[in-house]
Amino acid sequence: MEWTSLVRLVNLLCGGALTSIQIFLYTLIISLPLGLAVALGRMSKKPWVRGPFKFYILVMRGTPLLLQIIFVYFAPSFMLPEGIRLNLDRFVAAIIAFSLNYAAYFAEIYRGGIESIPQGQYEAAAVLGFTKSQTFTRIILPQVIKRILPPISNEVITLVKDTALVQVLGISELFRVAKNESSRIFSTTPIFIAGLFYLMMNWVVTKVFHYTEIKLNYYK
Amino acid sequence: MQILKVENLRKSFDGEVILDDVSLEINKGEVIAVIGPSGSGKSTLLRCLTLLERIEHGKIKVEADTMVDTVNGKPCYAPEETLRKIRLKLGMVFQNFNLFPHFSVIENITEAPLRVGGIPYDTAKANAMELLEKVGLTDKAESYPYQLSGGQSQRVAIARAMAMNPDVLFFDEPTSALDPELTGEVLKVIRALAAEHMTMMVVTHEMAFARDVADRVIFMDNGRVIESGAAESIFVNPTNERTKTFLQRYSDEN
Repeated sequence: MEWTSLVRLVNLLCGGALTSIQIFLYTLIISLPLGLAVALGRMSKKPWVRGPFKFYILVMRGTPLLLQIIFVYFAPSFMLPEGIRLNLDRFVAAIIAFSLNYAAYFAEIYRGGIESIPQGQYEAAAVLGFTKSQTFTRIILPQVIKRILPPISNEVITLVKDTALVQVLGISELFRVAKNESSRIFSTTPIFIAGLFYLMMNWVVTKVFHYTEIKLNYYK
Repeated sequence: MQILKVENLRKSFDGEVILDDVSLEINKGEVIAVIGPSGSGKSTLLRCLTLLERIEHGKIKVEADTMVDTVNGKPCYAPEETLRKIRLKLGMVFQNFNLFPHFSVIENITEAPLRVGGIPYDTAKANAMELLEKVGLTDKAESYPYQLSGGQSQRVAIARAMAMNPDVLFFDEPTSALDPELTGEVLKVIRALAAEHMTMMVVTHEMAFARDVADRVIFMDNGRVIESGAAESIFVNPTNERTKTFLQRYSDEN
């Protein structure tokens, strides 16, 4: 491959990667807090609150993300009554689908973390007079975050690679760009270079998590 | 002056009666030791008094406030506002310390005064340092709980409870999780508090300590208060047969 065409290819892939990174970041920003809310709902003592959240998690984890992306994009345009039918922007639809899906996975990770905190922590906080929300935000959540970093990093790494699924809506993310280039020049090289891109992005993700874990290593 | 009064308290778990018709009172400046065999309901009693468990029947009064009373056979707790006020008067030291692992020693002690008491940081910190001096741990202020021995952890837990200036301090088997050589340093701190006339109720298996430090001893068995009286008289002249057997077994062991 000639030098100039390689530069052109990398440029092209960078554009696709940028789209992938945008989907990745928006999904995280929405699904991390949403997952916590879902976890709290899933842990409610009231069955009529807990039930719908359990169902939500079942559906989100139990059906293909690819299908969910298609559903979120197309459902509003055929399920809503005529007149208020709306066409979602593809990019927005992709982010909604990703956020809803990842929130379900994050919720279960949060739940595992919250349930692993000893009861004694709640009791100590209660007798000291902390309110329930103070206990959660000041005492429980910081300890939960430290414990769930490894499983969260797993999901985040998966998310980097899952962004490739949005090509089903015709969004030009990294993988689709690479695939198109491959068919155009009859070579698998662009796809393999895209692979290196994913690897690099996940190398950064791994570093960030590693650094955060070290930051939180001041206590056990 | 009476600080806390319990009348006819009953509590059961899954139909099994844990506390049955328990009545007692705690007076200001008094140190009460609660003794009795395992499973006699001592810890549950403390947990009911500190609002960690809800009772089924009876009445608990803390100073002028009624925490819970039985109305038409059902326990009726005071509104949350009153309960909050009551909680602030009660301190608790747990068997397993329950320090907050992500906070340093000083943060463990200052967190509640800052967030719950609304005390300015400088005052909270100065108070905490004073308490650390009392429990002999000023050099550990910046340490984290995982760096402390069991005895040190329990002393920090005592300082943390004291930081909220409770009117009564409850101890739930404070030395049971400790190696024998570490119990001494914790008991020493409790003794020092007793010397300052801190009102305390201590569930303990340390009979020598109960005898030395407590003004009054409550002997419990099977969820009931079997005998209660001045420490000296309970240990020297127990009137109840069960108290006698229990104390006999302890002196045999030692």
